[in-house]
Amino acid sequence: MPRKDLLDIHSLSREEIISLLDQSTPFKEIFTRSVKKVPALKGKSVLMLFYEASTRTHSSFEVAAKRLSADVTNFDVPSSSISKGESVRETIETLQAMRTDYIIVRHGRSGLPAAIAKMTNASVINAGDGAHAHPTQALLDAFTLREIYPDLTGKKILLIGDILHSRVARSTTEIFLRLGACVAWLAPGSLLPLYPPAGVTCFTDYETAMRWEPCALYLLRVQMERQDVQYFPSLREYHRVYGITEARLKRIAGEGIHIMHPGPVNRGVELCDAVMDYPLSLINQQVENGIAVRMSVLYSLKPNGE
Amino acid sequence: MLFLSNCLIASEDSPALIPAHVLVENGRIKAIGNGLTKPDQAREIDAKGRILMPAMFDAHVHFREPGFEAKENIASGARAAINGGVTGIVMMPNTSPALDNPATIRTVLEAGRATPITVLTSGCITKGRHGKELAAIDGMRNLGVKMLTDDGDSVYDPAVLYRAMLYSKEFGMFFASHCEVPEIAGLRALTEGPTAFRLGIKGSPACAEEIIIDRDIRLAHATGAHIHIQHVSSALGMETIRWWKDRGDVKVTAEVAPHHLLFSEDDIGDFDTNYKMNPPLRTKLDNAKLLEGLKQGVFDLIATDHAPHTAFEKSQDFVSAPNGVTGLETALISLYHYYVHSNVFGWDLVVKRYSAEPRRFMGLEPVPIAEGKPAEFLLFNPEGSTTFTADYMQSRSQNTPFINQTLRGSIDLVVKDGTILLER
Repeated sequence: MPRKDLLDIHSLSREEIISLLDQSTPFKEIFTRSVKKVPALKGKSVLMLFYEASTRTHSSFEVAAKRLSADVTNFDVPSSSISKGESVRETIETLQAMRTDYIIVRHGRSGLPAAIAKMTNASVINAGDGAHAHPTQALLDAFTLREIYPDLTGKKILLIGDILHSRVARSTTEIFLRLGACVAWLAPGSLLPLYPPAGVTCFTDYETAMRWEPCALYLLRVQMERQDVQYFPSLREYHRVYGITEARLKRIAGEGIHIMHPGPVNRGVELCDAVMDYPLSLINQQVENGIAVRMSVLYSLKPNGE
Repeated sequence: MLFLSNCLIASEDSPALIPAHVLVENGRIKAIGNGLTKPDQAREIDAKGRILMPAMFDAHVHFREPGFEAKENIASGARAAINGGVTGIVMMPNTSPALDNPATIRTVLEAGRATPITVLTSGCITKGRHGKELAAIDGMRNLGVKMLTDDGDSVYDPAVLYRAMLYSKEFGMFFASHCEVPEIAGLRALTEGPTAFRLGIKGSPACAEEIIIDRDIRLAHATGAHIHIQHVSSALGMETIRWWKDRGDVKVTAEVAPHHLLFSEDDIGDFDTNYKMNPPLRTKLDNAKLLEGLKQGVFDLIATDHAPHTAFEKSQDFVSAPNGVTGLETALISLYHYYVHSNVFGWDLVVKRYSAEPRRFMGLEPVPIAEGKPAEFLLFNPEGSTTFTADYMQSRSQNTPFINQTLRGSIDLVVKDGTILLER
């Protein structure tokens, strides 16, 4: 039974994860051809419903859909009736009437794509909802690290940053664990959950975390603006205590540790400028692989009635 | 005239069920006994194997009128109550406009008198439930209002509640508190815990509730007012109430809702909004401790916090969907299914905490199955079963975890003042 929606990593079986990842490789090979397009979704319509600002994820999905020959429509939220107070339900009924095949949705509220998926026959892809899930980011992260380590069993990955508010942390941690890797989190105590999921080690001290000997550091974007009550005193202090400073980068280089980041980066906060030229940084590969993985996802999902 | 033969009579005094025939005449229980014979003109209902008990009374319901009649109104709420074996209720005042003045309260009470059940209402402590200016307390008292509450929110400023208590404690009124520090409770959608983290929703820790439980009891202690703590959801909240009760120098009562006994955050799954209410579901350990509190008398009442919401509202994402589950139609059957049937507690506890005590609490006489008492009772079939389909439900809303589930037990007959309100 083919899957209709991709809402989170949690609901995928290990076989589905592996299949989505393996299937991304031939799509990536298309990128080196002169014609970077296949007719897999010719005649299908993809609707981009982004309630939250996004440049990277939005364009990545758009490129992926176009490389599959789908027709892409952007539902322009700021100028639509949504900003006039229309409920999500009415918007989805409108889109349903347009007979859209795929809806790619990003929203600031956790669980909104799941609510939409129940209302429509179209395949819904969660492009990030609140602090809940960002499944295609997780898939591209796993794909990227598997290019370095084809078998992730026992590999140690340390996520650093705002775990508490991060949908990336949740989905990416879950996929690495499901692929047999070990995951630890490093963050100030106020940005770690009080009840971390089973199998995740939590650190609040950088040196202690590094003694865990990770093979990759996954840095998360740290922001002050999301905070209602302060979670840490200042970005300067955060950089000093948890950031990849130049001195730390030298040590990391000596130990051959890879660095990943979902973007966009905050220079001078979670990492110093020099990380951008770090040879073991996988940040650009993550962006490129994102398109291949999203093609794989679009290709695999089947809207109701097909 | 009604002759109920071979009943098993439940009471608040003993877990034992007493077999007897019961004769009802002129709205009252005329006679009880094994040797009774059916008068010729009486209608006989063979109640063999079925339990006759006082009708229930729910001291915490939202009937949404005025303002939110798409969810429920007083008439539909009363039908839901009867369907669940409940013949008296206390409305909460978070309607629109709020029940903070005699005019609105009078309208609501009039609508209540048009139903077959006893409809009482609470009144707001502060105007519009805004927590600032005191509502027209004496005017509401003159209409019989006894319970003052800003349910849905705590009174934010403790000085306001302190003054309100000093002002009205001589009026024979009491205060009911929805307990929550809003800054800590945040989105008030889920308890802080593994489910909140997994679903990516900021959790509301139990301390947000426990702090105000303690604060409001302290205010009652300081002022001599009677405080009632509504819908306690956490073990430590229950222990806080127990501690104050054990001191014995403050008038404090408390209620627990069936959903806080039965369900935990684990039941929420992937954003099931039928498990979203405030206070939120906590842990299985809290379930167990609340049950202990109920059995040990820390909780004076069982009350459902019946909170209807439309299917459309509940179909939204978890954060946007409103808080609340319905309870009037499922409470008694679920208490039987999960507790009485497996001897966790007896019918005496159900009758005491969901029928007799709530009536005393509101200044009403309980309605025991006893000669000379009003005929206000229900007949429960322990061998029956009930499937909570949309057709079965009489409420305008079906936002309950029990929707389409089948539970043991059925409510076969509901009588008030000798009149049959429900028979199936």
